[in-house]
Amino acid sequence: MAREKIYLEEVFPSPFMQHWLIFRKTPVAMIGFACFIFLTILAVFTPVLAPYSPIDGNINMLLLPPAWHDDGNVSFLLGTDELGRDMLSRLMYGSSLTFGLSFVIVIVSLVIGVVIGSLSALTTGIKSSFLNHFLDVILSIPSLLLAIIIVAIIGPSVSNTVGAIILVLIPQFVHVTRYAVKEEFRKDYVLASKLDGASSFRILYYSIFPNIVDRIMSQATLAQSAAILDIATLGFLGLGAQIPLPEWGAILANGLDLFYIAPWTVYLPGLSILFAVVSTNLVGEGIRHALKLRKES
Amino acid sequence: MLIFTLRRLSLFTFTMLLLTILSFSLSFLFPGDSVINLSGEVNATAAQLVELNLEYKTDQNIVIQYFSYLSHVLTGDLGLSMASQSLITHEIAILLPATVELSLVALLIAMFFGIPLGFFAAIRHNKRSDNIILSVAMIGYSIPVFWLGLLAILLFSINLGWLPSAGKISLLFEIESITGIQFFDILLSDSPYKWQAFRDASAHILLPACVVAIAPATIFIRLSRTSMIEVLQTNYIKAAKAKGLSFKQIIIRHAIRNSLIKIIRHVGLQFANLVTIAMVTEVIFSWPGIGRWLIESISQRDYTAIQNGLLLLSCFIFIVHILIDFIYAALNPLARDN
Amino acid sequence: MNLLDIRNLTIELKTTNQNILAVDRVSLSMKEGEVRGLVGESGSGKSLIAQAIIGVLDDKWHVHADRFHWRGVDLLRLSFEERKALLSKDIAMIFQEPMACLDPTTTIGEQLSEAISSKQLSGFFWQKQKQRTSAIIKLLHKVGIKKHTECIKSYPHQLTEALCQRVMIAIALARRPILLIADEPTAAMESVNQGQIFRLLSSLNQLKNMSILLISHDLENITHWANTITVMYSGQFVEAGTTEQISKKPLHPYTKALVDSSPKSNLQLPPKSRLTTLPGSIPILQHLPIGCRLGPRCPRAQQACVKAPNVTSFHGHKVSCHFPMKEIR
Repeated sequence: MAREKIYLEEVFPSPFMQHWLIFRKTPVAMIGFACFIFLTILAVFTPVLAPYSPIDGNINMLLLPPAWHDDGNVSFLLGTDELGRDMLSRLMYGSSLTFGLSFVIVIVSLVIGVVIGSLSALTTGIKSSFLNHFLDVILSIPSLLLAIIIVAIIGPSVSNTVGAIILVLIPQFVHVTRYAVKEEFRKDYVLASKLDGASSFRILYYSIFPNIVDRIMSQATLAQSAAILDIATLGFLGLGAQIPLPEWGAILANGLDLFYIAPWTVYLPGLSILFAVVSTNLVGEGIRHALKLRKES
Repeated sequence: MLIFTLRRLSLFTFTMLLLTILSFSLSFLFPGDSVINLSGEVNATAAQLVELNLEYKTDQNIVIQYFSYLSHVLTGDLGLSMASQSLITHEIAILLPATVELSLVALLIAMFFGIPLGFFAAIRHNKRSDNIILSVAMIGYSIPVFWLGLLAILLFSINLGWLPSAGKISLLFEIESITGIQFFDILLSDSPYKWQAFRDASAHILLPACVVAIAPATIFIRLSRTSMIEVLQTNYIKAAKAKGLSFKQIIIRHAIRNSLIKIIRHVGLQFANLVTIAMVTEVIFSWPGIGRWLIESISQRDYTAIQNGLLLLSCFIFIVHILIDFIYAALNPLARDN
Repeated sequence: MNLLDIRNLTIELKTTNQNILAVDRVSLSMKEGEVRGLVGESGSGKSLIAQAIIGVLDDKWHVHADRFHWRGVDLLRLSFEERKALLSKDIAMIFQEPMACLDPTTTIGEQLSEAISSKQLSGFFWQKQKQRTSAIIKLLHKVGIKKHTECIKSYPHQLTEALCQRVMIAIALARRPILLIADEPTAAMESVNQGQIFRLLSSLNQLKNMSILLISHDLENITHWANTITVMYSGQFVEAGTTEQISKKPLHPYTKALVDSSPKSNLQLPPKSRLTTLPGSIPILQHLPIGCRLGPRCPRAQQACVKAPNVTSFHGHKVSCHFPMKEIR
């Protein structure tokens, strides 16, 4: 049989490809990634996929238990709540709210945070130490507390929640970017570019960014899991999505009154939140694992 | 050490300034008259309103208004809560110790379980028990705390009936609140039912503290595991092995001490995170703490309470941070020049 | 009788795609009271051999040998624990950066007293404490530290590198070893301190008849202090013999290149001419040449060098080369 490759070629993949190859070899990370993709597809295509509307209820089918129970009905796979709304559809629409919004939040705060962070890493002196202190202060207040406060000011609603969490996550990205850029600036290859006469902006764009992308990605997954939990917590506390929006935390708060007769209205949204956060964390762990392995080899 | 203290003091004053400016500006950002937001007198008559305006100097420019607010805060007058019309300082004085109590107990539980588990996972690095501990830690980290609290109530209070699910102590016991911290109060009071009260209070705090402790415990597991793995790969551990010490001796005498030093600082910094989780847990377990009060005030639109409660809570967290920095620098001379 | 007799020691690293032989069939033997130098560039595997002898290698390295005798006892037949017990009693090791090898959070005194096993002391509890302190002071005096009270109370970061190295030697001496392995003990020091440490080691060898395995990359330094020398390259055995034989009549091209590159042999060169070196650099672990690993760089390499050479011996001067330079000189 003829062999295609006669000469053993040395393949030198780029750092990003190296990370991806290591990531692909970790089964747990791939499972998390698959779940992540599944949730994203769900979030985007819910209006097409969901069997029922999340808002209109069927009066004849109040408080049906899930289909595997004796009293359950197979056309309402996960049961219904007290207004006859199908749990499955509500959860699917909720995924676009809780999960999809968290995605948007992370992207927006990532862009803003990285820009501010890299620009501020270039400054030195009083401005830099002022920023340092300012960041320290903001980072010492826990993110949930800040989000609660911002929502308290501008009033509870979903869009306000999104804005609040974006504002809260930006300092984290600024801190990570700033630290990473400052660290890279101390390295010799940046010095070499500087000696060649490159402007700061050029150094940032061509030399430093490709090397800190992975750290920023790892922070992005952490931020996303925090964002999912924050959206859900705010929804639960009544400060986020208002009735009748099917955000997972709000569904949970709704089911609280009927906990004993209809426990599935509490179990199921909690499980979905857990599922989303675990898959995000698995992807994040995979990225960090790939980072560590690549650094070692 | 002197320079370190000065830097920390300057950071402290800077932060306090920032926090008070933030809280002051909140009174303008909230809807309604800013004076009413500052003082909380919702039912003020016209004459009282004029008096208030004079007190808070609303006719002059904003800097002077800020300073008058500052002077009010420093003298301890934080206004009245709009909902209950009682002095905010009073309410906070009762509620804050309860939150502190819950957070401290949770911190202790998290440290007690998290750190040894992390060390154990690091010693069995890359073996089965390491992976199991890591997966359990990851799930613990991902569970939304309010859901966990509800499940815990369902399992332990309702199904098994082992632990109570609400409040600080059973209503049968009348304990005078002297320090505000339940356990000290029980020990200081002269009620004949001291030990039963103590047992009852412990039963009440156990479930909420455990629920609060789970997320920080997983963070501690991860922290101590990383630190111990790092320490085990250092040269001096290798040299100690070459010295002929047994593995157990190495761990106990050298590795644990070095790993603990690395993580103690982070442990202290988790306190802020813990207080936030405690706030949400208080709502579920009806624990009379500042978190529940703050969240209720938000739903009731009690702006004075939100403003000043926020100020005090952030102040408190920041003071704890600085204290921990101090203690750490006092114990470890190498950290002073940071 | 040979103190240490190792034949064909191989240390390999099993990675996912390949088996990397970091040390490939190296033989080493030592007699009592001998100072042997183990010379090689960094990356030649000499530290690995030392760590394999004393048993502190990680689990990822696999160690095989045809023969591994210590004072006549065949160590390959013993279990890991027995081997460790036997070796830790008689062999001690000092490392490269002494300050990093001391626990930064314990005082020197505590670390020294850990090294003194309680079997050497006798008497009751309080007597043992006093004996321990006096033993520590004696050890510190033996390595030349006069101000023992200050030293005992201080932490490693408060001492200099040379002082830390002396403390490490003191810790090593506490067990009264028969063999001391010194893994590049002076790599992090200035030459004045280097001389002091070597003098200390040499005096220990002469006064207490303690054998020393001196690992270094500096051939010229080693020829001054060692009786016999073993040269390694990239994990393979190159040459072994007395100092006289190696420095005056090197048989292997690599040894000859090493000897030629020292400043002393370059004194006769005309000004502004190139110093004699061997072109190229040591191969990395992922791309080791087959057969004799010096092949790509060796000026005398020929077709036969793709097979690893066997060890031939000329009057106790062992060399591992297909074309040793025995005709010249």
